[in-house]
Formats: sequence, structure tokens, C-alpha cells
Amino acid sequence: MTQIADPTLVPLRDPTVLDRVSSGSRSLIRFMRTKPLGGSGLIIVVVFILVAILASVIQRNDPDDIFETPNPDYKANPTVIELARDPDIGSPVLVAQFLEPGSDYWFGTDKFGRDIWAQVVHGSRLSLIVGLGASVIAVVGGLIIGMISAYYAGVVDLLIQRIVDMLQAIPFLVLVLVFTQITERSVLNVVLWLGIAGLAITTRLIRSAVLQVRESEFVLAARVVGASDLRIMIRHVLPNCVAVLIIAFSIGIGAYILAEASISFLGAGPQGIPSWGQMVQAGRGSLDLHPWQTVFAGGAIMLIVLGFNLLGDALRDVLDPRLRGA
Amino acid sequence: MQGYIIRRIIGAVFVVFLVGTFSFFAIRVLPGDFATASLGLDAGSANAETIAQRKADLGLDMPIGEQYANWLWDTIRLDLGTSFLTQNSVWYEIGRSLPYSIELGVLIMIVGFTVAIPVGLISAIFQDKPLDYGLRGVAILALAAPVFWTAAIASLVVLQWDLFLIDVIGQPHLWEDPGRAITWYLIPMFAGGFAGTATTMRLLRSQMLEVLRQDYVRTARAKGLRESVVIVRHALRNALLPVLTVMGVTIATIIGSQVILENMFNIPGIGNKVLTSLFARDNPVFQSVVLIIAVFTVLTNLVVDILYGVIDPRIRLS
Repeated sequence: MTQIADPTLVPLRDPTVLDRVSSGSRSLIRFMRTKPLGGSGLIIVVVFILVAILASVIQRNDPDDIFETPNPDYKANPTVIELARDPDIGSPVLVAQFLEPGSDYWFGTDKFGRDIWAQVVHGSRLSLIVGLGASVIAVVGGLIIGMISAYYAGVVDLLIQRIVDMLQAIPFLVLVLVFTQITERSVLNVVLWLGIAGLAITTRLIRSAVLQVRESEFVLAARVVGASDLRIMIRHVLPNCVAVLIIAFSIGIGAYILAEASISFLGAGPQGIPSWGQMVQAGRGSLDLHPWQTVFAGGAIMLIVLGFNLLGDALRDVLDPRLRGA
Repeated sequence: MQGYIIRRIIGAVFVVFLVGTFSFFAIRVLPGDFATASLGLDAGSANAETIAQRKADLGLDMPIGEQYANWLWDTIRLDLGTSFLTQNSVWYEIGRSLPYSIELGVLIMIVGFTVAIPVGLISAIFQDKPLDYGLRGVAILALAAPVFWTAAIASLVVLQWDLFLIDVIGQPHLWEDPGRAITWYLIPMFAGGFAGTATTMRLLRSQMLEVLRQDYVRTARAKGLRESVVIVRHALRNALLPVLTVMGVTIATIIGSQVILENMFNIPGIGNKVLTSLFARDNPVFQSVVLIIAVFTVLTNLVVDILYGVIDPRIRLS
């Protein structure tokens, strides 16, 4: 998980920040020019989103179809001895397993004669859903818990902080493995549990941002005029935490994608949907002779995480220059 | 200072207690239990009476509150119970697997830090030069690559050119058969080190850039000290502090990747135990290994915090 520098450095609201985020295409062009790495991250992410949306169009073959190839040794009426030597000799076609990448199958075929390209293309859907969905849950949950924790200091805060400590003392992967075992491993459940496992980090990040804002003069002023807690939270504290929320959202995505790939690799991932992590595992059985399934599926994981990480780093630099390089 | 240390220790003990409680309830919330699973996958085919008997033997039929109280009392007395799966005491299981995990963990850390520190240093010294871009590029890739994939690709390279034998028989320790043990650990230690290094390297680089702009570095240069002395003695020492503060997180990350790597390379360590006990619903082993992992990370954090308090008095007061 990407480490954030001292969270107390999260600045107060800079009035230009939100304008910069929201002013459309001109700022996009400037972002691409001033942040070439972030720009390439954005391009990678957009390409993957397009691939996921258009998966059925660009798949070339159905990911579940099993392909056959003519049998070079085919003999119409084999003798018993020939059959004993080569059991497949009597069938005119063979399962097209382990074909090398080529013009028919761009990424080759797997052990069961399925098109690896089609599987990789469809795998992008799961990774994107998991990454974005879990991050939304972690940020929304972290916002609510972090605000409560920071605003009502005292016992509530102490308790929440110790629970956060507890969650961070357990390796993220172990936490995710345990959580996802609790329910049926549907995509939705896995997304939910990943988001919950990520709560510790977002809560901590958002809490320290809220703590900082809470001490500012405009919150004091609002309290003096008699604004209610809820009103202060929503009207004054929340808008000043938007930069932190965007940062927390964008830097988590890569970690959730990696976590899903890891549990899928260990055979405990979501079921009934093509997953890159599970493909890397499937390809390992014949790694020395037919590495393509492992190579391409793992390469896809690395590329999509790279895209989100580059984009997240650049967004953090733009929104919060004081956290630069962290 | 004493008050600060005592506060931190109480906090750490409480966190370990919370982790234990969490793992106790987590393994029991999961669907399925050891008694049912061990008597055949299909619960319907096994005799209901047999299952009940088995549950009673394992103590799984007691009310959850009673089980929890028992567990708490036993754990306080450092009695971790008996593994459902192997019938060995949990201490025996841990005693057998912990050395493997420590071996691999230390090797990963050695690889990680011997790569991260010089690379972070060089990257900061050559800021915005091609070398810096190259090294940062590698670090960004290392952060994005899943550790199991790095390890798989490394195995592929080794197999392709027949460099050495990956499948080591007999699970040797480093001190028993160093030659064979090191070939066994070689891929996981580099894959784990590669993944664990990137964060450290990036953090060190940004800290170095910060420190190199400080007045005392300028003073040191103005005094006419050699550049190597300025960088190692004055800059690096200060830049390393923040790197040490995230040690707890670094260790948690490394243990996380060890779970995968030990599984891939059949290393019978703690990470492997986490997986097998979780999937087999071997409650005593699972609770204990999660607890041990938590003790490791919490202890690291504690030591780092206390050392930091010694070095920087401002921390103690906050």
C-alpha cells in the first residue's frame, strides 16, 4: 500500500484547488503537459476502461469457447497398436491447447484450448470493478468514521483508533482472505470486503485531515454563530477535505486490484468471472513450456496497477503539493 | 519519558488483544468448521451424531462466550492449544514453521534494504537526470507488479536457461545445508525484496531531496567536508529516520507477500500456516499464527516509536 507522508501536512483549503479540478478539458491538457507520467497513467486507465466496456466487441473469440486444431497424425482407421501408441490418432481434430501467440490467437491458447486474449480482455472488467468499487466503499466509509472519530474526540476516537491499529497489525492480504471467506465469493461481496479491509487506511487519512480543519478559525466562527455539529461537518469540514478524499480514492485503487489478484491467485477469489490472478495461477502448471497465459495475465495486472498508481501520484502532486514524492 | 514508554506499551498490548479477539471470532464466523469438514465434505452423508461427538471432542459445541473466555485465559497463560489438523501442540507447529519465515523474512529485508538504500540515495543525488528517471521507473514497476507474478517470471527465466534447480527436496534450513537452502530461497527472496523495496526507495529519495536542501547540509559543505561525508553522515542519517518509522508497515507488507511466496515455493513457514489453517478451519493454529504476526508488527512499531521518542523529544509530548 502506498505510504502517505506525515498526514498532519494536509493543508487547508486552497481556493484554486477545486477550480483546477473542475474546469474541464483545458485543465486536462495542462495536466497531461505538466505531468507526463500522470498523463500516461490516465491514458493506460482510459484504455483499460474502454477494453472493459468493449470486451465483447474486441474479444475476437468467446473466452469460454474451446478450439480445435487439425490432427497432423490423423489416420482414418488406425490399428490397435497405433491406437495404443497414440490414443488421439483416430480423431481428425485435437483440442487446440497451448498454441503460441499468432494471428489466429493473439496471446495463444491455454491448456483447455481457450483464447487467452479473450480471457485477458474480459479479466479487465473484474479488476476495474474491484479497484474502483472497493475504493469508493473505503473512502465513503472512511469519511463517515474518520469524521466521527475526529469530531467527537475522547473515548469514541480512542476506540476507533485502536481498532484501526488492530486492522493495520494484520497483513492486508490475510485480512482480505479472512473477510472474503465469510460470505459467498460473488464479485459484489469481494468488492465490499476489500473496501471494508481498506477502511483502516482511509479512516486514518481522513481523520487527520478533519482534525486539522476542525482547528481552523472558520469552524470556530461557525460554532460561535451557533451552527449544529451536523451543519459544521457538512458545510464547513467536508468541502475542505475534498482534496484528501480524491487522493485517498485514487491511491487505493491499485492496492485493491493487487489484493483481488492475490486472493484469486491463491484460489480464494471471486467465482464465475475471468480473473487475471487466477489465470496466472492456471498458467503456472506449464510455465516452463507454455508461459503465455501467466505472462500476459500478470502483465495486464502490472499495467493496470501501474496506470492507477501513476495517475494517483500525479493527482496527489496537483491537489496537494506538500505531499509530493511521498 | 518513562510515562511515554508505558503508555505505548499499554497501547501495544491492547492492540494485540484486539487482534487476538478478532481472529478468534473471525475463524468462527466463517461458514463450516473442522469437525464437519474432517468427516467428509458432504455433511449429509456423515452421521449427525458423529459430527456432534467430534465437535464435543474439539470443544466446538460450547457456547461462544465460554469458548472465548477459555481462549483468553489459555492465551494469557501462553497455552495456545492443540492443532485440530495435526494433533500437535500449536507451540510445536509454530516452533517448526517460524524459523523458515524468519529466514525468508530476513533475506527479503536484506535484499530490500541493500537495494533500496543505495538506489534511493543515487536517485536523489542524480535528481532529474536519466539515471534518476530510470531507477524511479523500475521502482514504479516494482510497486505495480504482483509479487506472485515477479516470482513466476523469475522461475520462468531460471527454468528456461536451466540456471539452478527450483524444487528443493527436504526443506533444508540455511544453517543445515546453505547451498541447497539458498537456491530454494533465491527466487522468493528477490521477488519479495523487489516488491518491498519500492516504497522504501521512493520514501528515501524524497526525504534525501528534502534534507539536502537543509541549512546544516550547506554548512557541512561550506566547512569543506568531502561530498561523500556530507551525504552519508549529514544527509543520509537524517533521511533514514522517516524510513524507519514506516518499518511496521514495511514488515506487514513483507509478511503479506510471504504468505503468497511460501505457498508458491512450498516453504512450510508461518505464511503457509495462515493459509492452511484458515482453509482447514484449524482454529487454534489460525488464532495463534495471526496473533504471532500481530506481535511482530506491533513490536516493531513499538520499538520504532520508543526510539523515535528518544531521538526526538517533541514526539513524547504529543
